[in-house]
Amino acid sequence: MEQKLRDGAKALLEQGKVDYIIGFEPGSLKFTTTPLITRDKDDIDRLVINPFIVNNLSAYLTELEGRVGIVAKGCDSRSIVSLIQDKQIAREDIVIIGIPCPGLIDLSKIEQLAGKDRDEVDDITREGDRVVIVVDGKKQEFPITEVLFDNCLGCDMPTPSEYDILLSESSPLVTDKTSSRKKIEGLKGTSQEERWSFWEKEFSRCIRCYACRNVCPACFCKRCFVEESEPQWISPVPQWQDNLMFQVIRNIHVAGRCTDCGECERACPVNIQLRSLAKEMYDIVDDLFQFKAGMDKEAAPLLTAYAVEEAEDFIR
Amino acid sequence: MASSNKKISKRDTGKLLNEWSQEFAVFVPSRETGVATMAKWDGKDTSFLDWHRNTVIPPKANFLPAMEEMFNFQRDKEGYHIELPPQDKHKQLIFGIRPCDAKALAILDMTFSDSYQDPYYLSKRKNAVLVGVGCTKAYDSCFCTSLGISPAESTDVDLMLTDIGDEFLIEAITEAGKKLISRSRGLAEANEADETRAKASKEAAYQKVTRQLDTDNIKQRLLANLENKDYWEKIAAKCLSCGVCTFLCPTCYCFDINDELVKQQGARFRSWDSCAFPVYTEMPMENPRVEKWRRVRQRVYHKYEFYPMSFDVTACTGCGRCIRLCPVNWDITQALNNLPAKV
Ligand code: SF4
Ligand code: SF4
Ligand code: SF4
Ligand code: SF4
Repeated sequence: MEQKLRDGAKALLEQGKVDYIIGFEPGSLKFTTTPLITRDKDDIDRLVINPFIVNNLSAYLTELEGRVGIVAKGCDSRSIVSLIQDKQIAREDIVIIGIPCPGLIDLSKIEQLAGKDRDEVDDITREGDRVVIVVDGKKQEFPITEVLFDNCLGCDMPTPSEYDILLSESSPLVTDKTSSRKKIEGLKGTSQEERWSFWEKEFSRCIRCYACRNVCPACFCKRCFVEESEPQWISPVPQWQDNLMFQVIRNIHVAGRCTDCGECERACPVNIQLRSLAKEMYDIVDDLFQFKAGMDKEAAPLLTAYAVEEAEDFIR
Repeated sequence: MASSNKKISKRDTGKLLNEWSQEFAVFVPSRETGVATMAKWDGKDTSFLDWHRNTVIPPKANFLPAMEEMFNFQRDKEGYHIELPPQDKHKQLIFGIRPCDAKALAILDMTFSDSYQDPYYLSKRKNAVLVGVGCTKAYDSCFCTSLGISPAESTDVDLMLTDIGDEFLIEAITEAGKKLISRSRGLAEANEADETRAKASKEAAYQKVTRQLDTDNIKQRLLANLENKDYWEKIAAKCLSCGVCTFLCPTCYCFDINDELVKQQGARFRSWDSCAFPVYTEMPMENPRVEKWRRVRQRVYHKYEFYPMSFDVTACTGCGRCIRLCPVNWDITQALNNLPAKV
């Protein structure tokens, strides 16, 4: 797949079909990749595909000018479609290089299993539906489902349906929807008071760095409500109640746009369980409106569409 | 031959901390809140004695917290009444601070006690005692040694501890450290064998730091690239303009000030701010760094060019947090190592 990707990307640049290529290159730390955004064909040989291509690169599309060739996993391709639905980007300006995604490896799960920080793990290799972890020279094997991200386990579309180039036929991903919702169900099994104190503890450590918002392709507002001072919707001081409100409002704003790519939770430097909010909203949207974000570029965006039979008594 | 240093077994370190708790508010590395930070010790847990590297939240947060009440106020017919928040009279003892983070506090001290003496920071900092513990296994993001900092030695702490197996060797660095040792019970005299073990342990720790920053002529190289827009634009492209690298940098100190007001009463807070944000300094005027590459450049230059101009010290300690915690792995060592030689 990597060679096909490099050949494809190089051709796009050489033929002047795109101004930029966005993909992944090896990161500077163990088991990481980092976004590569380039106009230079000499950079293209650095493009990689591996189980650590975590970023949702579509977050960059609204800031780049010109035509862009972008590497997209299933969830990323849905974010792209969602941006098209919201008229934030035009389909003809984007060349989608689709990766049928086998699921990504969650390094925090690896750390749990290995009992070590990620950089102390010698090696991680995926072998089909197993993963082999080497720690202090000792090999350990686990089912791949134990180390994939929760959102990958719940993936609704590992193979992009909207693409210009598809790097292979289809994804071998085996999902596990129950595990994917395990943390959420765990919370639902507790009392309201327990949940309240859980979220108090979570949001007490929020430092308001906005990484969750800035990695999120659905958060494309030029000016976010948190930065409005007249009126001031929430306080800029990171008190837990305001931190929680920030996230609650953010989740409402991205309802019907969030593709459950899991980036908010992964980016959060203080490990707040953000996906539990995002995924619950994702499922609520699906239950209530039979709507999944970014599935159909012709469909009207959820929050701007209206059907008469949806009328609630209070707005009659 | 006896050395002038002391030692304590790891098993007895809890007792020592308990003793210190009589006099100080003892803070230790902890994950109790859900993220690694320097938290108030619970008097029992000593699992942090096995930690071998720095915390996610830097110890600067103990002196410059993410948010802090500056004063509160009330308005009535006569006007405003201002009150300072109650002062925490406890002296902090920070146990387990790493050399990079201790150096960072020394760097912050320069800013907060320069032409303006910042009472909020200094009142906490003045009475604090720092007990350093050397790192035994650096992260792959650590590059302290490139900046002249050893992972196992420090002159910015009061006491410095070195892991020598089942025990810590204790060196008194400052007068305050010497006094603290002399009134602490349960410390044994270190002998020559302990010193030898400590030396080996320090050397091994040093070797574990593998990331390298090329600091040769760094100020000149930066100056030459100040207007190299192409370079900065290219490397800034993937930055998301979030607050992670600055908020969690142990030497970044920018803060914002906001009033919280409900009816006739409220409080003034200060909280961390970041030059990476597009809205930075928009309150008093405009952000002079509208384009992203200018903001990315600012962070690097502040640390490696401007701070050295003002205080003759680099405002980066190689703690590696900005590399490790950045959601896109933006790497300051790459940015500096790859500076074009000729522009
Ligand atoms: S990433 Fe985490 S700490 Fe940062 S603003 Fe979001 S929830 Fe808060
Ligand atoms: S360098 Fe990384 S951590 Fe810093 S602002 Fe950019 S994306 Fe955020
Ligand atoms: S710039 Fe990065 S490596 Fe340097 S002190 Fe700050 S967080 Fe640490
Ligand atoms: S930068 Fe050096 S002193 Fe700091 S945590 Fe890493 S190894 Fe330790």
